[in-house]
Amino acid sequence: MYRLVPSVCSYCGAGCGVLFEVLDNHLLSTLPLKTHPVNEGRLCIKGWSLHEYVESDMRLTGPYLRLNGRLHQVTWERALSFAAQRLKEIVARYGPDSVGVLASAKISNEENYLLQKFARAVVGTNNVDHCARL
Amino acid sequence: MAELKDLVRQWLDSGRVDLFLGYKEVAGHPLPYAFSPDNLEEVEELVVSPARYSLEKLAASILKERPQLKIGLLARDCTRRAVQVLTIYNQVEPGQVELLDLSCCPSRPQVSCSALSPPQVGEVKRALGIDNRLTPEQFEAIPAAERFGRWLYEFQKCIKCYGCRDICPVCFCRECSLEHGELVEPRDLPPEVPMFHWVRAVHMAGRCIDCGLCEEACPVDIPLRLLYRQTNRIVRELFGYDTGLTLAQPPFSVLGVGPAEPREAAGGGK
Amino acid sequence: MTNSIAELEDAGCIFVIGSNTTAAHPLVARRILRAKEKGAVLLVADPRRIQLSLYADVAVQHRLGSDVALLNGLMHVILKNGWEARDYIAERTEGFEELAALLMDYPPERVAAITGVAPEDLARLAELYATRKPAAIVYTMGITQHTTGVDNVKAICNLAMLTGNVGFKSAGVNPLRGQNNVQGACDMGALPNVFPGYQAVNVPENHAKFSQAWGRPLPDKPGLTILEMVKAMEEGRLKALYVVGENPKLSDPDMNHLRHAMKNLELLIVQELFLSETAQGAEVVFAAASTAEKDGTFTNTERRCLRFCKAIEPLGDSLPDWEIICRLATAMGYPMSYSHPEEIFAEITRLTPSYAGMSYARLGLSGLQWPCPTPEHPGTQFLHRDRFTRGRGRFHAVPYIDPAELPDAEYPYFLTTGRMFAHYHTGTMTRVSPHLDREQPTGYVEINPEDARRLGIAEGETVAVASPRGRMEAPARLCRTVRPGTLFLPIHFGENPTNVLTSAEAMDPLAKIPEFKVSKARLEKVEWS
Ligand code: SF4
Ligand code: SF4
Ligand code: SF4
Ligand code: SF4
Repeated sequence: MYRLVPSVCSYCGAGCGVLFEVLDNHLLSTLPLKTHPVNEGRLCIKGWSLHEYVESDMRLTGPYLRLNGRLHQVTWERALSFAAQRLKEIVARYGPDSVGVLASAKISNEENYLLQKFARAVVGTNNVDHCARL
Repeated sequence: MAELKDLVRQWLDSGRVDLFLGYKEVAGHPLPYAFSPDNLEEVEELVVSPARYSLEKLAASILKERPQLKIGLLARDCTRRAVQVLTIYNQVEPGQVELLDLSCCPSRPQVSCSALSPPQVGEVKRALGIDNRLTPEQFEAIPAAERFGRWLYEFQKCIKCYGCRDICPVCFCRECSLEHGELVEPRDLPPEVPMFHWVRAVHMAGRCIDCGLCEEACPVDIPLRLLYRQTNRIVRELFGYDTGLTLAQPPFSVLGVGPAEPREAAGGGK
Repeated sequence: MTNSIAELEDAGCIFVIGSNTTAAHPLVARRILRAKEKGAVLLVADPRRIQLSLYADVAVQHRLGSDVALLNGLMHVILKNGWEARDYIAERTEGFEELAALLMDYPPERVAAITGVAPEDLARLAELYATRKPAAIVYTMGITQHTTGVDNVKAICNLAMLTGNVGFKSAGVNPLRGQNNVQGACDMGALPNVFPGYQAVNVPENHAKFSQAWGRPLPDKPGLTILEMVKAMEEGRLKALYVVGENPKLSDPDMNHLRHAMKNLELLIVQELFLSETAQGAEVVFAAASTAEKDGTFTNTERRCLRFCKAIEPLGDSLPDWEIICRLATAMGYPMSYSHPEEIFAEITRLTPSYAGMSYARLGLSGLQWPCPTPEHPGTQFLHRDRFTRGRGRFHAVPYIDPAELPDAEYPYFLTTGRMFAHYHTGTMTRVSPHLDREQPTGYVEINPEDARRLGIAEGETVAVASPRGRMEAPARLCRTVRPGTLFLPIHFGENPTNVLTSAEAMDPLAKIPEFKVSKARLEKVEWS
């Protein structure tokens, strides 16, 4: 029920080691990992506040679909099958290079890997980039 | 160590405590860990960490959510002093925490403690700033005019991480003065010099238990422990009060000019 | 980074250029300050007066966009005094003659005229950098977000190689990545021209290897970069866009332009933590889980692959990004089924030579720095130890070119953009964080008090900043961080979007990185009627 879980700060490229203080599936605080090679038990203000955005009221808690011009919360099945269907139609009609994929410097290595694999193997385009240029 | 583990198992098994905060190693890193009656077998993995985390602060944060719990702590001497202060300020109730002593302080150096490895201080810092190893007496031997310049050198490095407050076992105010615009102007870096540091130093008088965690957490090596020792020395000289060694109310709150009002519910510094 | 973060502490000289390190990479700044306190010399070149300047042996505020001139000027002085590393140049580099010839054109007086840096300061910078080895250069967006971004980086590499400062402990060229996993996104092939591990898509062996591994014939022509995608949207060639974890409406250099281009899309899918400006315009929004709600790895700026662990369950009905991608791929008829990110990581290591020796077990909590080619390999602390990866290090003679825009009569100010210490990127995460929001709840524009006095602008007063592309309002912050004639805007605030002002047209021709760091602008008092 009470645990300290090792993680990595996601607010800059330094990659400081942190511990999330977790009580019954909620985050209480962020602490620096004392023995981490990068930060050795220190953090900046962003690192110390890392847990605060996670359970924000502003977070999306489910998928949305635009229906009659407005976004409505729907099931995953519905959102996914709509997206898949539309992507397939567009690829069939205009070719795979009519699709672009923007990966992210905020998601994990595994997810970036899957996303470029998705662009290349599933859609069939090399139109994949991330926002680091920006 | 075997004795220690036996005691922890006994405490948990007998219900003397519901949780025991110690350390367990994960991939070579000692991490704070909550042992409970549900995982008694894990007590075998309990280690004494050379890296210090403020277990008492973790305990206070759990108790804020679960006041009915009783928590055991693997305690260094500084843990004991911090718990005294937390009790005075009503952050923990007497009896909510039980300490299992490690006896680590310099007079008994058999147990490793990160506070015992002196910080490395570069030559430029010694020349222009402040050597983190100085005692208040040694520092006060430096001419007063020069002392202020040295503090300025140190304070201007501050990156306003609030780590000194966030890690401090005795900083727990829900509304922290350091974030009050009227006291410390909220702009860019460095934070308002020397206001930011003065505000905190004043609050630590009669409260700081000299554990050194703040200085360990300071990304820019400001000699915070010296700063607060100096303030505490004034308290000791004026009032004969030793922070963390007694349950008596600190003189500042006796005088009614306490830096932060004690509250009933613990807030955690952040 | 060619070096490691901790290594910086042992440098003899650290040259920080175009990086406000204490605000953007505070825990790297820690190492820089420690190096300084141990006796290293600290050199700072930044158009703004930053916190590190207070501790610098020499700090110069060169004119925005004049980096190449400054760097060429430094090298001119170094050659003139014979401070170059002759043996190193002979053994490990090529192209020196061309560079030396070009540098003849950058005498200190000319450099002073372009950069505003006095010849004495230039001479001190050059001497200290060249003679206090090992010397490390640290830079960030202040160098890359220019029309001459690639030239700037080449000039930095020239300087390092000229003095024999690449390929040793604490000596090297160290770009600090702005966002936490930029390094990982690049390593994983989230780029239009390369597969994971920088294996070019148009090299037949790579193409064959990945086509086989993924069981599909793959496209072999490099794809579009992000800014080319915007153009393709405008021209109606790009019909669908799948955006994951980004808010390009706020990070795109020219927001008006992008808003317009996105209207042409038939399908916009956004996968995000929040209903960002971009997500608000999407047809489908996938709710993603945060880092705290999943397992995985990030690769930091020193090439260290680091493990993070799931702390809590995904919020509500959100899902980890990897799971959403798998489900979408499967729904499109390409089954992807992984039970845990560790399985994906194992696939990555099979296909990516620089990660081949890694596994979750080996990463532990300290991580491993690539290249790490075998399970026994300890990882690589610094790059180019005995030779450059490409054989000999090549000097590139790069002449100075003016930024795309310089102030003129109508727009008399230099405008630059950047980060402030309490916020991150487009602010989607930091602005919902109470402690960070309290530090800085709104955007602002930094104005030198002299300029403010002339225009009668008071601290906190709302002012308007206009460029040829747009206009925005923000409270004035009077400070001497910026020089007279220069304005600074932080990038984090959606209601004060800097990218209505910056240009999407002005970008580096090779890296396609937009010039965020220099625009011309006008400052106006806002009159209330
Ligand atoms: S704690 Fe600060 S320096 Fe460390 S990774 Fe996070 S944002 Fe970067
Ligand atoms: S004592 Fe309270 S108000 Fe003072 S610095 Fe600590 S948390 Fe802030
Ligand atoms: S030494 Fe620092 S961390 Fe410890 S009690 Fe004093 S102020 Fe707090
Ligand atoms: S820990 Fe150090 S840098 Fe951080 S706020 Fe405190 S004094 Fe400043």
